Amino acid sequence: MTPAWLLDILAALMLMVAAISAGRLVAARPWRPGAVVTDTDVSHLLMGIAMAGTLAASLTTLPDTAWEIVFALLTVWFTVRVVRDARANGVRALAGGHCAPHLVHSAAMLYMFLALVTPAGGGAGMGAMGSSGSAMQTLRYPTLAFVFALILVGYTIWDLDQLSGRRYATTPARVSLARVGAAVPVLAAAGSPPAPLPAPPATGLAAASSTTSASASADDPAVPDAGRPEPGSAARGLLLSPAATIGCRIAMGATMAFMLLIMI
Amino acid sequence: MSQVAVAGGRAAWRDRLGTEVQPATARLDARRALQLALAGIWLLDGVLQYQAFMFSKGFSQMLAGTAAGNPAVIGRPITWDAALVQHHLVLLNTIFATIQVLLGLGIAFRPTVRVALAASIAWALGVWWFGEGLGGVLNGGASPLNGAPGAVIIYALLAVLLWPADRPGASAPFTAARAVGAHVARALWLVLWLSLAYFALTPANRAPQAVNGMIAGMESGQPGWLAGILRGAASLVAHQGLAVSIALAVAFVVIALGVYLPRSTARVILVLAIVVSLVIWVVGEAFGMILAGGATDPNSGPLLVLLALAYWPVKASAAPALSPSAEGKAA
Repeated sequence: MTPAWLLDILAALMLMVAAISAGRLVAARPWRPGAVVTDTDVSHLLMGIAMAGTLAASLTTLPDTAWEIVFALLTVWFTVRVVRDARANGVRALAGGHCAPHLVHSAAMLYMFLALVTPAGGGAGMGAMGSSGSAMQTLRYPTLAFVFALILVGYTIWDLDQLSGRRYATTPARVSLARVGAAVPVLAAAGSPPAPLPAPPATGLAAASSTTSASASADDPAVPDAGRPEPGSAARGLLLSPAATIGCRIAMGATMAFMLLIMI
Repeated sequence: MSQVAVAGGRAAWRDRLGTEVQPATARLDARRALQLALAGIWLLDGVLQYQAFMFSKGFSQMLAGTAAGNPAVIGRPITWDAALVQHHLVLLNTIFATIQVLLGLGIAFRPTVRVALAASIAWALGVWWFGEGLGGVLNGGASPLNGAPGAVIIYALLAVLLWPADRPGASAPFTAARAVGAHVARALWLVLWLSLAYFALTPANRAPQAVNGMIAGMESGQPGWLAGILRGAASLVAHQGLAVSIALAVAFVVIALGVYLPRSTARVILVLAIVVSLVIWVVGEAFGMILAGGATDPNSGPLLVLLALAYWPVKASAAPALSPSAEGKAA
């Protein structure tokens, strides 16, 4: 058996991802007018909790069926997002877009819950993976597990490269679609016809920062006024930065690949 | 990142739909793309090393088994190493797996790419000896169909060829030549593929049922579709060991010489190399036995594909898209 303490460490990591995602949701101040909440944060929060419960039986929260419904809904949600993204930006959205990795994560989680085979004598449900003394659990259709693991590893490596290449800023870059309109074609497609792709920014960090200050900080209540820094605004800024989300996605992708491969 | 509103009616929902600014993706040059592929394989390797089988005595027995047939000077350290692993199985296997995960992450993380590539060379050489018994090169057990001359040595070779530095002077005709020069890169390719041709013709591999037995032996534990492919391939080569060995050897020699030929011919032969590598990966290696569980790595197939892509002719005027600093100068 894979040692229980190793699974516990990964469960703790997933709880940390869930906590960061929850922190991001709260830091977005959804109770204030104009605030926006990312669906990726919601999905990270749910996945973090589900994966922690899968890795350590004591952290199990909901029954498997409930998680199957949750991840089926998330898979449908991100499928719609990816289709819209692809319509607006072409197939390159699959490689460089934000929704495709989350679609793979959601689908992989759904597959894990649906394909689990618990041998006789083993604990019931996904949470039994981390219970000591239980028989080894496996997944039906191991080819699918391998394919998911390959894609997850690929996205993890790609995210890490882009993160270290400073594609993702460490400052908040949340903007409301109502403010930027056609400048964000990916999601503009959700409520309006596809808009032409804007010219790419000069560099990721500079562009993200400048765009944020131009379109979000100026009058978005969700972003502190540049002239009046709020207490803890730096920490909040880091928490709300795209880099924080990508860091969570890297941790989640690698852990998910691990879970899939050890259950083949 | 796409965002959704948290409260309000349908109109409010739409107004509060938001996003995080999506910056442009940095354009990758061919070498960085290949480095990332190598990083992905290292990461996959590391994750596979965490499998339950690796924490069982089966792992240390597998290590000890590679000593068989090797000269004493090679075999004794392997036996010692296997005994050490058996006594500290959980600790050492966790360390092994973590090192491999870190190598993958380190290559993908730009500031550490040089350190990680250098470490991967040292690690690969160590694993080639202590984990693979030099890939069976000295005991007559090496076969190009099961990963000879040792999959892990190809990791080291790729790390050298994809080193993030450019030789001054003339532009490189292919990615693998950028760090070591075209002559050295071609010589390394030649040695590798000629060695595969040699191993294909050794007595153990040209025996009438050698290839058949090897392929049929991998069927157990595989998913139905892969077991069917292996069964079909095994029956195809039954009692054809010599013919298969000669065909493979000829293909390997052609591939070995391909990088010395004009650009258009070289491309055709590199496609042949990729196809042969994929056939080896599917039929000869069964995807490194990953689908049957207990695999330590995806074996040599994907690495040979990666290697072939590193020799793909590029335009002489092509300039690197990323500055040297972006590829790890900071390290």
